[in-house]
Amino acid sequence: MIVGEQKPIDEILGMVEQYKKIMVVGCGTCVAICYAGGEKEVGVLSSMIRLARNQTDNKIEVEERTVLRQCEEEYVRLIENDLDGIEAIVSIACGAGIQFTAEIFENIPMFPGLNTTFIGYVPEQGVWKENCGSCGNCVLGYTGGICPVARCSKSIFNGPCGGSQDGVCELGKDVPCAWAEIYERLKKQGRLDMIEKLSLYKDWKTARDGGPRVITREDMQR
Amino acid sequence: MAEYQPEILALCCNYCAFAAADLAGSMRLTYPSNVKVVRLNCTGKLDILYIMRAFEKGADGVFVAG
Repeated sequence: MIVGEQKPIDEILGMVEQYKKIMVVGCGTCVAICYAGGEKEVGVLSSMIRLARNQTDNKIEVEERTVLRQCEEEYVRLIENDLDGIEAIVSIACGAGIQFTAEIFENIPMFPGLNTTFIGYVPEQGVWKENCGSCGNCVLGYTGGICPVARCSKSIFNGPCGGSQDGVCELGKDVPCAWAEIYERLKKQGRLDMIEKLSLYKDWKTARDGGPRVITREDMQR
Repeated sequence: MAEYQPEILALCCNYCAFAAADLAGSMRLTYPSNVKVVRLNCTGKLDILYIMRAFEKGADGVFVAG
């Protein structure tokens, strides 16, 4: 999922300081699952904004809405009729959702209430870890299902590097060396030869190096 | 000027704290009128939004007992 973290409340309050009526809009998919941008968080953030502002002379009215996905027009449009008098929107979707909502309602200033951090998973309740670099050319088949792009601190393809000691990355004891893990897993599966099939020189054109990426599927288009 | 009296919302579990408040009532014990008791089925049902709303509506403190 896309994992995000709410911005510090002081930063959000600073962004909406000049507005008297705003709407906080949440997203019911990825960021709701990571307890950062769903309906509950919309309620809490709206409440925090009201509590902070309504103790001052600079009062504020905060509307609360959550749509299933802010990255799809049919869901974003659901708030269209509720925007009368709304001077600004604080979106707590991921960066994709915030931008798309901003594009649809381009006359209304849009502010992010959330920092989009990474694509990750939930190893245990309350912990999120990054494990996909969204590089556009997946090599997990060669690496025992462990991503060298996201989980190696240097994103190298010929690890482990000299900073790897006893399976731990030089960044710190809490960071396992992805390449040590790759080696151990492939060894366990009797597939160490896979490493040799992995190209040392990754074509990063499919990643961000090639500019903003687009997928067009004519079979899915109207 | 009257002494400051904070408005306190007490969120009480049906099975212990609320039952205790009930018992206290039947024993004719009193508690200050600035404490407002709300029964929860269980404090496991407590939601951060209940607390936020309490503060928004003017509570000075929220007391959770369960």
